[in-house]
Amino acid sequence: MSRRRPPHDPNRRKFLKSATLAGAAAVTRPAAASAQSVAPRANLKAAAPGPIQIALESSPPEKDPQTQTTSGGDFMVDVLKTLDIDYLAMNCASSFRGLHEAVINYGKNVKPEILTCNHEEIAVAMGHGYAKMEGKPLAMICHGVVGLQHATMAMYNAWCDRVPVYCIGGNILEANKRGNSTAEWVHSAVDIAAGVRDYTKWDDQPASLQHFAESAVRAYKIATTPPMGPVLLSLDAELQENPIKDAETLHIPKLSKVVPPQADSGAIAEVARLLVNAEAPLIVVDRMARTQAGMDRLVELAELLQCAVMDRFGRTNFPSRHPLNQTFRRNAVVGQADVILAIEMNDHWAALNAFHDRIVRTSQPLYKAGTKIISLGLRDMYLKANYQDFGRFSDIDMSVAGDGEATLPALIEAVKKLIDGGRKAAYEARGKRYAAARFAMLEQAKSDATIGWDSTPITTGRMCAEVYAQIKDEDWSLVGNTIGNTWPMRLWNIDKIHRWNGGSGGAGVGYNAPASLGAALANKRHGRLTVTFNGDGDLLYVPSTLWTAAHHRIPLLYIVQNNRAYHQEYMYLQAMANRHARGINNAHIGTTITDPNVDFATVARGFGVYGEGPITDPKELAPALKRAIAVVKRGEPALIDVVTDPR
Amino acid sequence: MRKVFNLFGATAMAASLCSGGLAGVARAQDVPPGDAANGKRLYLATCFVCHGRSGQGGAMNGPAPILAKTAMPFDGFKAQLRQPINEMPAYSEAVMSDQQIADVYAFLQTLPGPLPTKDMAIFKD
Ligand code: HEC
Ligand SMILES: Cc1ncc(C[n+]2csc(CCOP(=O)(O)OP(=O)(O)O)c2C)c(N)n1
Ligand SMILES: [Mg+2]
Repeated sequence: MSRRRPPHDPNRRKFLKSATLAGAAAVTRPAAASAQSVAPRANLKAAAPGPIQIALESSPPEKDPQTQTTSGGDFMVDVLKTLDIDYLAMNCASSFRGLHEAVINYGKNVKPEILTCNHEEIAVAMGHGYAKMEGKPLAMICHGVVGLQHATMAMYNAWCDRVPVYCIGGNILEANKRGNSTAEWVHSAVDIAAGVRDYTKWDDQPASLQHFAESAVRAYKIATTPPMGPVLLSLDAELQENPIKDAETLHIPKLSKVVPPQADSGAIAEVARLLVNAEAPLIVVDRMARTQAGMDRLVELAELLQCAVMDRFGRTNFPSRHPLNQTFRRNAVVGQADVILAIEMNDHWAALNAFHDRIVRTSQPLYKAGTKIISLGLRDMYLKANYQDFGRFSDIDMSVAGDGEATLPALIEAVKKLIDGGRKAAYEARGKRYAAARFAMLEQAKSDATIGWDSTPITTGRMCAEVYAQIKDEDWSLVGNTIGNTWPMRLWNIDKIHRWNGGSGGAGVGYNAPASLGAALANKRHGRLTVTFNGDGDLLYVPSTLWTAAHHRIPLLYIVQNNRAYHQEYMYLQAMANRHARGINNAHIGTTITDPNVDFATVARGFGVYGEGPITDPKELAPALKRAIAVVKRGEPALIDVVTDPR
Repeated sequence: MRKVFNLFGATAMAASLCSGGLAGVARAQDVPPGDAANGKRLYLATCFVCHGRSGQGGAMNGPAPILAKTAMPFDGFKAQLRQPINEMPAYSEAVMSDQQIADVYAFLQTLPGPLPTKDMAIFKD
């Protein structure tokens, strides 16, 4: 890049004056060097003032400059543009006013375009949902101290879910530059990243614009290299605001994305041998598919082997209605398996073991003794110690480091080589058994969903059946779900990668509403009909997400599963009361959200979003859904408040 | 062997329902008379939290099974309340008497249970 240097640098005189003072100070003690004072100091010691300097020193002092023609923020925008970042989600703050202004005026508010959020947690969570749907991160920027404190839980969710979010925080590094409004002191820190370093993949605090350029590109590269995760840049306010010096020396490094690593070829051959020779091979998969191709390849592998697949739904990895999908027969398929290939697991142990939440906590494996367990994935390649998101250590016979999606093609080829005609009949017979079980499961799910069909409050089975009936002929995308709601996975035909994009990762509630909005933003350009089931408790952490939805005209149907409770905790509290034999009447205290009931339709309308409800009669659901979907198809958000039974 | 339940064990749950049904070639006289109205009151005070108001089942750490028209024999039902083997919390005598359990059992038999889905247009896909 090339940039003109301003013909006259108004700071020049001041610069020399302070350099002189610094030089004098340096005689007695080494200055805590500011970048400005370092270089000239040596000169001053070495040589007497030349004619130019004398002229400068003796001319009348200049006024403070009123304007400047460049700013570090402009250069930062240039750098961000090379990273193809579409959006900058933010809650505005003075510590990044320099970059903010550069984005809107110098950058013309495109790439990135600002998304105005009313809470930093919303900004990060939008990035979380967006990245999973779009396959690339957006950026968020916040006040480096208090804004980042708001952002932290959402960053933790993204970390646990292995999702890149490009986070930036403003800071004021030089103490002598902080103003006498207390804000600039209380909103500055030696190290803003200290509080989030345990759950960010990388962070930096650039000391110069060149340093920024390199760290900005590096941050993007690190965030998007599997296992992915959030990153943080701390940006000094003066670096953003002040004129660019040395413009001609600035260089923006090239971004070359890392090709995800395929597993070792010997290991792949061994995995293939084990799978092909197994009597009952099982594939368990969690956060594997990044693209439709990943999903298609898993189908190809499973069909070659006619083996059972269990999807943990960290992403859509395998079609829900595929005959080999045995997700809801966990005990049976894990119990029968002689070889288990677990790909890109979040919690390997939890998938294969039973645990009992009792006074004395017990557990046991679901698989039989002698079952060979193989793990394939990159999760072990980047872990940190403090937060315990890695789950319990598992018995694994063969740990293969390699990106799941990137390794599948080679694994498929290796399996193809080993399958001979002699196995075909046995494979087919086993596939038929799975297909029959899958069909029976679907019929069972439909039947189960009819229990309490006409009840008020509305059952979640009825709600999900009604929603599916309205969206199934569209290019729909479910981007959020309520806790423990398995109806979509049991009933719906989840046949494409964008039909479902996984959960929060860190189980930090307050994820769903904004992450769904981020995913809907990504879906907007693909013309998909985006829906989300949102817990009432979840929405109440971050209700102003609705304003951002309205303001940026992001089409998304919020279906509030309003059980008027933090119901998960209501159940736990009743369980605690039972342990102590303390009756059945109090577990609602502190766990329910009644008296008054929250009127979410009114809340929505207050934020400028189409709202309907509370809907208590199940017969009113279909017409309400039709009206709300019409709004969403017009390109706007809509919300319907469905008063439901607990789960 | 302990029964094992889990988040995605819905069918395992259905299977356990069936085995309950088998054991319970339950003769009507084995079931103590219960007051369904009182059972409803009790059920809607506590059991619904995990099993749903219509006995449709729910999800705590894993699924809480369907209870509408439970086919479990009364003895097994009572044993499940007194000494549940997995994650369901126990209901001790002090919290729920044998008679109250009989009342809840009676109420569960009055719930409609599933509908035939064959002719429901909503499930045609
Ligand atoms: C805190 C949640 C919770 C509450 C409250 C609760 N249950 Fe359960 N219940 C469960 C779970 C979970 C299971 C699955 C088996 C297990 O974990 O023990 C279960 C299983 C059962 C079963 C066994 C069904 C089968 O087919 O195996 C019966 C019967 C039952 N519950 C009845 C009741 C009744 C009656 C009440 C109220 C008096 C009640 N439960 C309250 C969670 C709960
Ligand atoms: C930030 C945060 N606070 C509290 C919790 C504990 N918690 C887990 S589930 C839950 C209830 C959430 O309510 P809602 O979204 O309405 O779902 P429901 O349980 O009612 O289905 C809470 C409070 C959490 N996981 N994260
Ligand atoms: Mg709730």
